[in-house]
Amino acid sequence: MTTTLEHKAPVIKHEGGGLARHQNFLTAMIGGVAGAFIAWAISHHFFAQDVRTTSDAVAVLTGCGWIVGFWLGIGALNAPLAWLIGSDQTRKDQLYYAGEDQGTKRYWKYCTDHKVVGVQYIVMTMVLLGAGGILAMAIRTELIVPGNHFVDQQVYNGFIAVHGMLMILALIVAVAGPWGNFVVPIMCGAKDMAFPRLNALSLWTLVGAAGLLLTTLAVGSLTMGWVVLAPITDQAGVGMDFFALAILVFTVSTTVAGVNTICTVFTMRTKGMTLERLPIMVWGAIIAAALGLYAFPYFSLVEALQILDRTFSTSFFIGNAGGTGWLQANLFWLMGHPEVYVILIPAVAAVFEIAAVMARKPVFSYRTAVAGMVGLAGLSILVWAHHMFTTGWAPTLGGPFMVTTELISIPTGLFFLVLIGTLWRGNIWMKLPTVWVFGFIANFIIAGITGIYLSDIPIDNQLHGTMFVTAHFHYVFVGSVLFGAIGALAFWYPKVTGRYLDEKLGRISFWLSFIGVQVTFLAMFISGLRGMPRRYASYAFIFEHTNFISTMGAYMIMAGMLVLMGAVIYCWNHGEPSGSNPWHANSLEWLVSTPPPLENFDVLPVVTEDPYNFGKELVRS
Amino acid sequence: MTNSNDNKKSLKSFYWLWAILTALGIAVSLYAPGYLMPESMSQTMHLSVLTMVVFSVAAAPVAAGVYAAALYILRNWTHKGDSVPAAGPAFRESGKVVITWTLTSVLLTVFLLIWGLGALAADSAGSTANPLVVKVVGQQWVWSFEYQGQNGTTVMSNDLYLPKGREVLFHVTSLDVTHGFWAPQMGTQVDANDETITDLHVTPNKLGTFDVRCTQFCGLNHAFMVTQGHVLTPSAFTTWLNAQPARS
Repeated sequence: MTTTLEHKAPVIKHEGGGLARHQNFLTAMIGGVAGAFIAWAISHHFFAQDVRTTSDAVAVLTGCGWIVGFWLGIGALNAPLAWLIGSDQTRKDQLYYAGEDQGTKRYWKYCTDHKVVGVQYIVMTMVLLGAGGILAMAIRTELIVPGNHFVDQQVYNGFIAVHGMLMILALIVAVAGPWGNFVVPIMCGAKDMAFPRLNALSLWTLVGAAGLLLTTLAVGSLTMGWVVLAPITDQAGVGMDFFALAILVFTVSTTVAGVNTICTVFTMRTKGMTLERLPIMVWGAIIAAALGLYAFPYFSLVEALQILDRTFSTSFFIGNAGGTGWLQANLFWLMGHPEVYVILIPAVAAVFEIAAVMARKPVFSYRTAVAGMVGLAGLSILVWAHHMFTTGWAPTLGGPFMVTTELISIPTGLFFLVLIGTLWRGNIWMKLPTVWVFGFIANFIIAGITGIYLSDIPIDNQLHGTMFVTAHFHYVFVGSVLFGAIGALAFWYPKVTGRYLDEKLGRISFWLSFIGVQVTFLAMFISGLRGMPRRYASYAFIFEHTNFISTMGAYMIMAGMLVLMGAVIYCWNHGEPSGSNPWHANSLEWLVSTPPPLENFDVLPVVTEDPYNFGKELVRS
Repeated sequence: MTNSNDNKKSLKSFYWLWAILTALGIAVSLYAPGYLMPESMSQTMHLSVLTMVVFSVAAAPVAAGVYAAALYILRNWTHKGDSVPAAGPAFRESGKVVITWTLTSVLLTVFLLIWGLGALAADSAGSTANPLVVKVVGQQWVWSFEYQGQNGTTVMSNDLYLPKGREVLFHVTSLDVTHGFWAPQMGTQVDANDETITDLHVTPNKLGTFDVRCTQFCGLNHAFMVTQGHVLTPSAFTTWLNAQPARS
C-alpha cells in the first residue's frame, strides 16, 4: 500500500463549508434515530412475522441501526471513509477536528483534543451517575416500607438491572475517562493521545451505548438483575436485546480507550520521563486499561452469544436445548471480577496522587504501590468462580478459588500501607480533595474486610445472594471508588476550569455523602445478616427498620450528590480563580497554563526527576 | 527549602487509640454476628456464625490500626492556616515497614485460609451412609419438596419438614429458571438449576420452624418465593410422613 508524498486532497475543500463542518451531538441523535428507524422498517418488513425470534432480531438490527447512524451523524466515520476513497486529512482538517478556535461548541462535537474528550467524559459520567442515581432513589423509595407500593414490580425489576448497569458503566469511566484523558497525556509530556480520533470514538461510542441502555427502560420487559444470566434471560422481551447490544457496543468503547491509553504512555512519554518517574496516577491508568483489555472481550463474547441465542435460536446458554447457563456464568464472571478492579485501580491511583501532593511528600514506597496494583490486577483474573460458590458448579474447585480470593487481601493491604505511609508525618493540606481521600480510607477498610467474609465459603454459603453482598460492593463502589473519583474531580477541577471547586459546598456534600454511606450501607449489612436476599421488591416485617434507615441514608447521599453537582456547575464559571498550579504540585499537568493550550506544550519538557520532590522549587523554562 | 520540622511526634496516643479501637472492634465482633444472624438450627450455621466471629476478631486490629492512623494523622499533622504547607519529610522507602506489613498480612491471610479450609472440610466431611433424601423443586414462584414415603410412594409438600439429628441430603433442581434454595437458620444454600441436580446437606440440631427463601433473582415474584420449614422430633417426623397422601 503506497501513496505518493505530494498527494494532498483535503476532505473538505472550502473553509467553513461542507456538511462535515456542522456535525455535532444533535446531528448524531438525528442520525441515530434515522438509522434505527431505517433498520427497523427494513427488518420489520422483510422478516417472517410468525417466527419466535423475529422481534428479537428486529430489536438487534434496530439497535445496530442506531449506533451506525449515531457514528455517521457525529462524524466518527468521516476520516476512515475519506481514507477509503483515497483522500487524507490535511493538517488544517486535523486542527479543525481538534477543535481549534471553536469555543464551547467543540464540546458537542467529535473532537480529537484529549482535553475536550476529558471534559466530555466528566459530563458523561455525571449524566450516567445521575440517571443511575434516580433509579437508586426509586429502588430505595420502593423499599422504604414492606409491601409493594410505589413502583410496579415488573418495572422495579427493570430498574434493578438498569441501575446496576448504568452505575457500572459510569464507574468504569469515572476516573479513567475524565482524568485518564485530560491529565494522563500531559503527565507523560505528550501533545495528545497516541490515537486522537480513537479517543473521540471511545467517548461517543459510550454515549451511543448509554442511549441503547436507556432505551431498555423505555421498551421495558427487562426483568432481571444486571448480571442477566440465562435461563431467565430467555423469558425477557426485547429490552434484553437492547441491553445486550448496549454492552457489546460499550466494550468497543473501552477496548479502544484502553489501547489508546497504553499506547500513549508507552510511546509518547517526553524525554527523561522514565517509567519510574511517572506520576502514580499514570500507572493506575495503564494497569486498569491493560486489565480491561483482558476482561472486556469476555463481556463481548457473553453478549454476542446471548444475541445469537435470541435471534438465531442457537443454544449456547439454554439448558433444555443442550447448552448451559453455567457457561454464561463463567464467561460473565471471568469479565465480572477483573472489571471490579478496572473500576477500583484508577481511583486508588488518583487517591495516591492526591495524598502525595496534599501531604507534601513523595508517594511512600512507590514500587510497592505499583506492585500492589499489578498484583491486584493479576490476582483478579484468577478469582472469578467465587461468584459461583453457591451455584453448584464445580464444588471441588471451591477450595482453590477461596485461596486465590483471600490472597487479594495482601495487595489490598499494600494500598493502605502506601496511603498511610504517604500521609504519615506530612504537612497535610486539608483542602477539599484531601477530605475525600480520608473518606476513601474510612470506607475502603470496611469494603475490604467485608469482602474477606464473602471469600470464605462457609460464610458465603450463608450470605451469598443477600443484602450483605449488596452492601459490601456498595462500600467498594460508592464508598471507595466514588469518593476517590470525587477527590480526583476536586483535585483536577482547577486545571480544567481555572477555578476551585467550592470548598464549602464541597464539604457539605462530603459530610452528607459520608454519613449517608454509613447509614445506608451499615443498615444494609444488618438487613443481609438478618437474612434479607437481594433484588427483593418487597420484604418481610423483620427487615422493616433497617430498610427504612437505608432509605433515609440514601436520601442523604442524594442530597450530597445534588450539592456537589450544583457546585460543579456553578463553579465552572463563577468559582474562585485558582491559577495554573493551585496545589503547588510538580507533575507536568500543573506546569502548563490553565486551561492547557491545544497540543499542551510548545516545547516538549525534559524531565529530570519524579514529581514528588516538594522541597525543591519548581523549575519552569 | 527543606522542612526544618521533621514532624516526629510521640506515638503514645496513637498506640492508645489503636488499643481502644481494637478492643471496641473485638467486643462488637464477639457480640454482633450471634445477635444479628438468624437463630442457628444446625452445626453448619453454628460454624458459619463462629467463622464470622473469628474473622471479625482477626480483622479488628487491622481496621482499628488504619482508623487510628488516619485519626492520628488528622490530629497531629494537618497544616494550619491559609499558606501553602512546606514540604514534609521526604522519606520514600522503609524496607522494614514494608516487610513487616506484608509479612503480617500474609500471616493473617494464611490464618484465615487455614481456618476457612478447615471449616469447609469439617462441613463436607459430615456425610453419613444413610441420609434422609429430600428432593427440592423450585419453580416460578413456589418451592415443593418430595420425600420417599412408605412402600416406594412419593410424598409431596409445600412446607419443608425435617427430623432433628439426622443428616438430610437435598437434591435440588428447578423446573424453569435458576432459583436459590436457602434456609437462613440452616446456614447453607445452593442454586436450583434447570436440567441439573445440585446437592446440599445439613443436619438440623434444633426443633422449631425456619425460613426458606430464594436467593437467585427469578422474575416477577422473586420476593415472594418463600416457605416455612419445620424441624420435628424423629418420631413426629415419621408420623407426619406416614399421614401424607401418597402421590402415584
